[in-house]
Amino acid sequence: MLEQRLYRHIDWLLLGALLLLCVIGVAMIYSTTYDPTTGGASPLVSTQSWALALGLLAFAVTLSIDYRWFADLSVLIFLALIGLVAFASMFGIAGGGARRWIDLGVFNLQPSEFARIGVALALATLFARHRRGGITVFERLLAVLIIGLPFVLIAQQPDLGTAVTLLPVALAIFVFAGLPLRYVGILIVLGTLSAPAVWAYGLEDYQRERILSFLDPEKDPRGAGYQQLQARITAGSGGATGKGFLKGTQSQYNFLPVAHNDFVFSVLAEEQGFLGVVVALGLYLFVILRGMDAARLARDRLGMYLVVGIMAGFTFQVIYNIAMSAGLAPVKGLTLPLMSYGGSSVIATLAAFGFVLNVRMRRFTN
Amino acid sequence: MSSDIARDGRQGLRDSLVLLLAVWRWGIALVFVGLGVGFWLLQVVQYDKYRQLADNNHQRTLVLSAPRGPVLDRDGRVLIENRSSLNITLSREQADDLEGTLVLLSELSGVPLPALQATLERHRRDPPFRPVVLIRDAGLDQVAAVAAHARELPGIYVQQLPVRFYPAGEVAAHILGYVGEVSDAQLATPEFEGVRPGAVVGKSGIERTYNRLLMGLDGVRRVVVDSIGREIRKLDEQPPLEGRQIQLTLDYDLQEAAEDAFRSAGFNGSAVFLDPRSGAILALVSRPAYDPNVFARGIDSGTWGRLNRDRHRPLNHRALQGRYSPGSTFKVVMAVAALQEGVVTPDFRVACGGGRRVHGRFFRCHSTHGSVDMREALEKSCNSYFYALGEKMEIDQIHKWSTALGLGELSGVDLPHEVRGLIPSTAWKRDRFGERWYPGETISVAIGQGAVSVTPISQAVMMATVANGGTRVTPHLLKAVNEGEGFKPVARPVPRSRTAIDGSTLDVVTEGLWFVVNRAGTGRRGRIVGHDVFGKTGTAQVISLQGRAAAAGSGRDFRDHGWFVFAAPAGAPEIAGAVFGEHNEHGYLSAPIAKHVLETYFAKRERQQRPKLPVSRAPRWAPADPADAVAADQ
Repeated sequence: MLEQRLYRHIDWLLLGALLLLCVIGVAMIYSTTYDPTTGGASPLVSTQSWALALGLLAFAVTLSIDYRWFADLSVLIFLALIGLVAFASMFGIAGGGARRWIDLGVFNLQPSEFARIGVALALATLFARHRRGGITVFERLLAVLIIGLPFVLIAQQPDLGTAVTLLPVALAIFVFAGLPLRYVGILIVLGTLSAPAVWAYGLEDYQRERILSFLDPEKDPRGAGYQQLQARITAGSGGATGKGFLKGTQSQYNFLPVAHNDFVFSVLAEEQGFLGVVVALGLYLFVILRGMDAARLARDRLGMYLVVGIMAGFTFQVIYNIAMSAGLAPVKGLTLPLMSYGGSSVIATLAAFGFVLNVRMRRFTN
Repeated sequence: MSSDIARDGRQGLRDSLVLLLAVWRWGIALVFVGLGVGFWLLQVVQYDKYRQLADNNHQRTLVLSAPRGPVLDRDGRVLIENRSSLNITLSREQADDLEGTLVLLSELSGVPLPALQATLERHRRDPPFRPVVLIRDAGLDQVAAVAAHARELPGIYVQQLPVRFYPAGEVAAHILGYVGEVSDAQLATPEFEGVRPGAVVGKSGIERTYNRLLMGLDGVRRVVVDSIGREIRKLDEQPPLEGRQIQLTLDYDLQEAAEDAFRSAGFNGSAVFLDPRSGAILALVSRPAYDPNVFARGIDSGTWGRLNRDRHRPLNHRALQGRYSPGSTFKVVMAVAALQEGVVTPDFRVACGGGRRVHGRFFRCHSTHGSVDMREALEKSCNSYFYALGEKMEIDQIHKWSTALGLGELSGVDLPHEVRGLIPSTAWKRDRFGERWYPGETISVAIGQGAVSVTPISQAVMMATVANGGTRVTPHLLKAVNEGEGFKPVARPVPRSRTAIDGSTLDVVTEGLWFVVNRAGTGRRGRIVGHDVFGKTGTAQVISLQGRAAAAGSGRDFRDHGWFVFAAPAGAPEIAGAVFGEHNEHGYLSAPIAKHVLETYFAKRERQQRPKLPVSRAPRWAPADPADAVAADQ
């Protein structure tokens, strides 16, 4: 299916940047889970490597087959993903306070990570049927359903962090599809007005605590503010050039919990210093700008909306996680795409970028 | 470019999408610049702050307590050393479930839970990083049990500490003193500048006076720990430096002899033995005593309370802090003063007819001595003779010579908490009562009654000064210090004062005092053939006969105290001192204690066999020094 002609148009630069970030991620996971007493690598490293391989496989699939074929199947794909999310919520295994994984024997699958792709595909397909701005009321209702269904399902797992990542995907597609800006405005105003109600009824105690402790992390340094404070200490103590690979005291001695997961960027900041941070930030910025270039180059609305949706979700997650890893945002269970430990995240992210490269590659084809 | 975007029609729409994309991309680039600035502020600008915080996280600085220096007696015998003790401590920072930890620790150690909780409560306001000692001086079985359950007891550690050990127990307890944790009040004083909170410092005795020499320098050990406090590796270590060794002038053999003698005699009290040529203290007793080892372990409140409530007051250092009437021992001062002031000659005689009428009032003597001169008056402790001296002398003359001999003054001994006795004077009477001095009051003072009060150590100084001819030596205990290159003698403290006493005066007084011990006097129990002990007994009245009748049944002990002040050998004295027998009723009963110590001293010097103490107590019906008992009722 991948013709010679198309092969030439693969964005090797973007792919290279993606792989480089993945490799940096594996190195950081190795470093932070390294056990100096046994001198051996943690099994997490090989798990992540296998996930990376699977991710590349998924990437190959989403790259090779024309994205319009996926669009034709978007309803099926969307419903299948929703089904998996619902299954995980009901029969999945719990961890970290949420029931979000399906036990596949070899590893645990987290369907909510893939939901973003389904939402992007479904919304892009829905809006691409009409010219920009010509969206009917029925389609708007359908769009609300497409975003609302997975959001509610994931949020009640409860995994508000992952659920929230659906919003930028939808918002970006809405904007590009020409949904009047006043709708967006109304959404923001409603959101602001409902904030106190959400604060009172919509949040769990630990979530309120996290937000409060973000505002004043030193108030309760052993409790809710702990991660926040330790994240800042971890990044700050790295200095300009870092403590060196395997030499981060905060991550090595477990002062920063789940360092290999949500706080992998803090580990990078500690061990590689500000220099490492600049390199990683540069790579992420390159990936984002280059990825969005595919939207500009896209041959059709479908491709554009798909890329815009995927890139918006990715960008939001990257920025939020990096800000959080420097203690600049409240602690939320959000992974850093490409670098954080987590098979589903890596596979889903690479699969999503398969679509981005797909759109760019097929910009000249009919 | 065939595209539905193009078919969307107007070029403007497409442009607006491209513009939207461009705005978005620039916006994101801006956010990334913002993130970069954020990291720059965090990692470069505030680096020092966060580096410090990270170090505090994973580096622990453990204090390695320096052992205090050992203390030796003049012959090199160990008086204080250190032993190793194991403490079970709690680092509250690392214990997540304090209550659970305490419950398990209580089960393992056998220490009741409420006791552990109370200990923790006492330290509640300490800084959280400072470990709390939950079980002091733990047994090996307790340590083994805790070590076996280390995983279930996060924050519980076994700490090895050098602890003070006093091998002789109670012997010389008041001299050696005891140690304890430095108090906040002490930390605020210059004396304890630079001492870390929680450090063990000298609280009394030699431990206190020479705390700086003995303390040593604590070492530091910096280790890397993980988030649950597990020690991962050592960063560096600065070993502790033991405190200086010091050698005392104290002679353990004499000290032991003195304490044995008190025990054998069956009463409490105090005694001071010193070298009148230098002021070096050879033995210094205060009884009852206590075992300083109970302080070394960290004294518990029960023991502390008992020591403080004990009506015999074992913590009180009687030799330095007890103020008593000198009774007839004051006649030594009177004799020196009268002769030196030229009030009388040695051959001045007084006819004792059982007392003497002075200023229209009759003052009694305990006997009818007939005509006595100075020597005989001392020998027989004739009150009439000294009433006559009192009649001829001004109180300020007596005060002047008392001071010259060290009474009513601080001896300057190198031990804490010494108090001053009192010798009345016109100035004192005016300042204290706003009244002039009445000559009649001098008569009581002349036989050591009235307002006169003295401490045992000042009595010893008085005898030393008489023995050495007028040099008021400073009693001291520090002989030599080992700074690491062997013991180097320390400079002897300068005498407090020098007053020339005429040879003729000394001869008369010495002779009179020799009679006391070697002829018919009250000090015969202090006699040692061949060593010419000279001295004077005295009785310090606790309460008048009328008062005693009034207070009968109160349960308090109103029996009199007995003094014996002495020096030996006459002609070239090398040991002098004072023995104070608490409620032993008679001065002559104090003399055997001095005798036993002096015999030990001479036997040791001449490498003879040491004397043995008589098994039974001295009989109470022997001739007394009744002068004081009689005079006391005047």
